[in-house]
Amino acid sequence: MNELPDNVNEAPPLFPKWSYWYVFVIILLLVEIALFYWISN
Amino acid sequence: MGLIDWLVLLFTLISVVLYGIYKGKSTNDIDGYYRSGRELPWYVVMLSVMGTQASAITFLSAPGQAYTDGMRFVQYYFGLPLAMIVLCITFIPIFKNLNVYTAYEYLEKRFDRKTRSLAAFLFLLSRALSTGISIYAPSIILSSVLGWNIYLTNFIMGGIVILYSISGGARAVAYTQQLQLIIIFVGLILAGYLIMDMLPADLDFIAALKIGKDFGKMNIITTGMTENGFNWNDRFNIISGVIGGFFLALSYFGTDQSQVGRYLTASSIKESRIGLLMNGMVKVPMQFFILLLGVLVFVYYMFHASPLYFNELATNKLKETSFKSRIIELEEEHIKLAEEKKIHLADFLKNGQAVSKTKLDEVAAKQEEMRTEVKGMIKTSGIAVESSDTNYIFIRFVIDHMPHGLIGLLIAVIFLAAWGSISAALNSLSSSSLIDFHRPFINPNLSDKQEFILSKKYTFLWGLFCVVFAQFATGMGSLIEAVNVLGSWFYGVILGIFLVAFYVKSVGGKAVFYAAIAGEVVVLSMYFFTEIGWLWLNAIGAIAVLLFSIILQSVGLKNRIAQ
Repeated sequence: MNELPDNVNEAPPLFPKWSYWYVFVIILLLVEIALFYWISN
Repeated sequence: MGLIDWLVLLFTLISVVLYGIYKGKSTNDIDGYYRSGRELPWYVVMLSVMGTQASAITFLSAPGQAYTDGMRFVQYYFGLPLAMIVLCITFIPIFKNLNVYTAYEYLEKRFDRKTRSLAAFLFLLSRALSTGISIYAPSIILSSVLGWNIYLTNFIMGGIVILYSISGGARAVAYTQQLQLIIIFVGLILAGYLIMDMLPADLDFIAALKIGKDFGKMNIITTGMTENGFNWNDRFNIISGVIGGFFLALSYFGTDQSQVGRYLTASSIKESRIGLLMNGMVKVPMQFFILLLGVLVFVYYMFHASPLYFNELATNKLKETSFKSRIIELEEEHIKLAEEKKIHLADFLKNGQAVSKTKLDEVAAKQEEMRTEVKGMIKTSGIAVESSDTNYIFIRFVIDHMPHGLIGLLIAVIFLAAWGSISAALNSLSSSSLIDFHRPFINPNLSDKQEFILSKKYTFLWGLFCVVFAQFATGMGSLIEAVNVLGSWFYGVILGIFLVAFYVKSVGGKAVFYAAIAGEVVVLSMYFFTEIGWLWLNAIGAIAVLLFSIILQSVGLKNRIAQ
């Protein structure tokens, strides 16, 4: 049986070092959309 | 199907089952059974998440979708990478730090038991029924195209997978999904290469895409705007794709145990995050290439005669009715049109004249009219076949034009894609039944060994339920449609509960429970009384629960202060 700790309301920091990854994913999506737009037109 | 196809098909399927059983051998407790001992690396998690999402219908339907409606379907996935980011920031660290088996376990700690049970019950209901349909839907297509017995096909599609799902749990599910996806990618890349090879020698890849574009199939980005403003009923445009797709992906990956259970298997928060972010990066290009196969099939049929209707069983059955002479007439006319099309196309490619393009468009419109007429005949004759042939386009092409060996491999691909999502679903149905219902309500004092045995029993029972449901689904067309939209009725509301849990800390269990019921009433009212596309229901449900819970909580607080 796993016990749940009490700190359920403690969310981790919003923008840790992972922010670079998140920005990269968003930029990649925008590049894909731009590329698709270019192909579509 | 020739002998070599059968050999390839059987060899592939048996290998995957044996691999699954072998990989799951070391599982001997429920931590291993439901979370693979929390030891998997990010790339296995990524492939497992992808294998769970991609069902057989994904591979059957997407190329057909591109063939008929163009590539705009890809926009449906634009919200997915954004949802992965939110999952990485909030969902993953909370689930992993709390060391939960199911997502709903968290809800009891944050709110109360009834909210947890409500969310888990809605999950079990929608996932069990949709898994039954994900067995039945590809089975009916394969049995129609290959003349197989539907009940036997259902059994192979949904029954065999129970073997390794029971024995190996999440570890077997994850490792077989890894192997399945590798086989699926190899099959699809080979199919793409061979379709290109079948096109006229002087037509290169770019020229083939140019033909697709000239005939409206490269409509990858659309806005959904009409003369009367935005079309809320249009699922596939950039706005509904980014916003509606974001809420759908957040609900599916964040609150559906069949997905949560996959990234809980990672060895750390970091591995879960990389797995999901990689899924976000790979998904859009992957869907793009699957849809591109449909465009290449379209280009192929510009140079060759296409079937009048891609579900041959439908036309054969119609020939046994009073529509026989009309079907034969249409087939002859269709062949004549194909010849006409070839002449105009040669002229168009050589001289690029607008006149030949207009004629080609006229031919395409006539062929579309014929398909619509056949659909009408299917409906009025009452024969027991699907009245849409979009899902049959790619498999018909494979059977008619691909070399032997590859046909067997591509049919194996369909089974493997089905197995990937079914095995994950069975594992998650079992985990939610045991952790969210059996433990709290039936017997909280079971030993580890008793729980492990019970986890296998639940996997078997859910597998049995899904296969039996698939067998009964035969001939219940309207029920299948209902099950397909069932997820969209509940997903948004469950997401709303989790969003309140994570982000609105002042709201308690009572407020969120009644807000969820009110949110469900809003979603169902929108579904039954408006024309809004179902993709928006997720966003509406989630926002409704957020708003209602804040209002109910503040009203409750005021009342308490007044007292």
